[in-house]
Amino acid sequence: MNVLEAVPKENILERIPEKLGVADRWIEKGGVHWLSPGALKVRELALEMNACHARFVTITAYQLPGDQGFRLEYHWDLDGQLLGFPFLLAGNSIESIYDLSEAVDWIEREIHEGFAIDFLGREYEPLLLRQGDKAGVNLREELL
Amino acid sequence: MSYKIPMGPYHPALEEPYKLDMICEGERVSDAKLHIGFNFRGIEHLAETRNYIQVIALMERVCGICSNIHTLTLCQAMEQLTGQEPPPRALYIRVVMAELERLHSHVLWAGIAAKLMGFKTMFMTCFEIREKVMDVLQAISGNRVNYSMNRIGGVNRDIDDPLAVLAMVEQLEREMVRTVIPIFTTSTTARMRCAGIGVLTHEKAISCGVVGPAARASGVPQDLRRAAPYAAYSELEFDVPVEKDGDVRARLLVRALEIMESCRILRQALAKMPSGEFHTGEGKIVFSTGTATSRVEAPRGEVMYSVSWKENSRNPSRVHVRTPTFANMPAIRWMVIGARLADTPLIQASIDPCYSCTDR
Repeated sequence: MNVLEAVPKENILERIPEKLGVADRWIEKGGVHWLSPGALKVRELALEMNACHARFVTITAYQLPGDQGFRLEYHWDLDGQLLGFPFLLAGNSIESIYDLSEAVDWIEREIHEGFAIDFLGREYEPLLLRQGDKAGVNLREELL
Repeated sequence: MSYKIPMGPYHPALEEPYKLDMICEGERVSDAKLHIGFNFRGIEHLAETRNYIQVIALMERVCGICSNIHTLTLCQAMEQLTGQEPPPRALYIRVVMAELERLHSHVLWAGIAAKLMGFKTMFMTCFEIREKVMDVLQAISGNRVNYSMNRIGGVNRDIDDPLAVLAMVEQLEREMVRTVIPIFTTSTTARMRCAGIGVLTHEKAISCGVVGPAARASGVPQDLRRAAPYAAYSELEFDVPVEKDGDVRARLLVRALEIMESCRILRQALAKMPSGEFHTGEGKIVFSTGTATSRVEAPRGEVMYSVSWKENSRNPSRVHVRTPTFANMPAIRWMVIGARLADTPLIQASIDPCYSCTDR
């Protein structure tokens, strides 16, 4: 048994904001524990999720109205509790966490193809699209 | 000398199109690369052009096997945005449909696995039994594939006579116990073709984020019906089968045991089903602005829907679907490395992949 398994999961959850240095607290809504990451980098979050033995679930991308950019919601599962971390992107890019969690590979590629968002620090191969197809044609509004 | 063997995108061993490029040293696979997207239909974009009734029919068609699970997950998410709470009877009917779907999916997989093992008699036996599960689904819903059971706030059809369905389930269970389970768990053919083949270690299952029976066969005891219960699962008793070997046989055993657990859940759900309404009525449905997330344990593992809505809009502004095969397929690479080329069709089939779901 590792040290984390001996700690009740509620306590692990409570410690996460403090360990991440995030001022906000969890908000439970619709079965998801949401935490606003503030100035936190997504790679710091991924490292902490790995340390908690949380299972990566997915990233959901949303295009915001006008030129507000995008919101990427990162989800991990901690013993059945779904954790959500919304990151706002003013531009088109965010750091990749693929090197920290191989489960992230396909969803980063899918979002890159769907919304033309760049995950910095990684290379892409086609996933749903074919070689040479233009990224963003499927879900990015101005390219539809 | 190494050489590349492509399997797919169209190949007798594959139920749907995808491609596995394998690098081989003699008869052994030294590495592999997966290519998907051959079934890509742009369903997530299409969902944004459909209203809240049409989008249910659309998402039911994401998958030809677990169609009910997709509408269940979608409706659960939309219920959060509309404040519609399904009545207790509807929650039990949702469990019955979900478990019947798991039964027919697992028996279908058992038949396909038997065919890939060269055990064709067993293939026919499994499909004969699956047909009886389909008969039950048809008796309840009137349909064999797209059941059209889920709606916002409940289900579209009642189960008029749960005891009659219970009798069909008990007959099914007897046949499973008499034929499918013993043959898959004790036969020499099944053991020789599956034991020690396509191993996914516990550590790799965790790092790949594998879900469902594929994860449970590698010693990862995750099941949303237990960890994050939905519908009426919190009121029902069942075990979550877990195996540790991580090979094809372990995945086979987990599904065989899950068939028995599904029958156990069905017996309880049909016996305990409360009386009353099965949906919230025909009143106007109003969506609030926001995003809702829902997760369900499908036959292949966790399905997650994220649905976003703008107030008073009839159409969703975003529907994102994370299917279990999307999470499980990358692990095939690790299962086939070191395997004999002849075993790779069975290994890739052992996660029960659904490419239609994966590509959407």
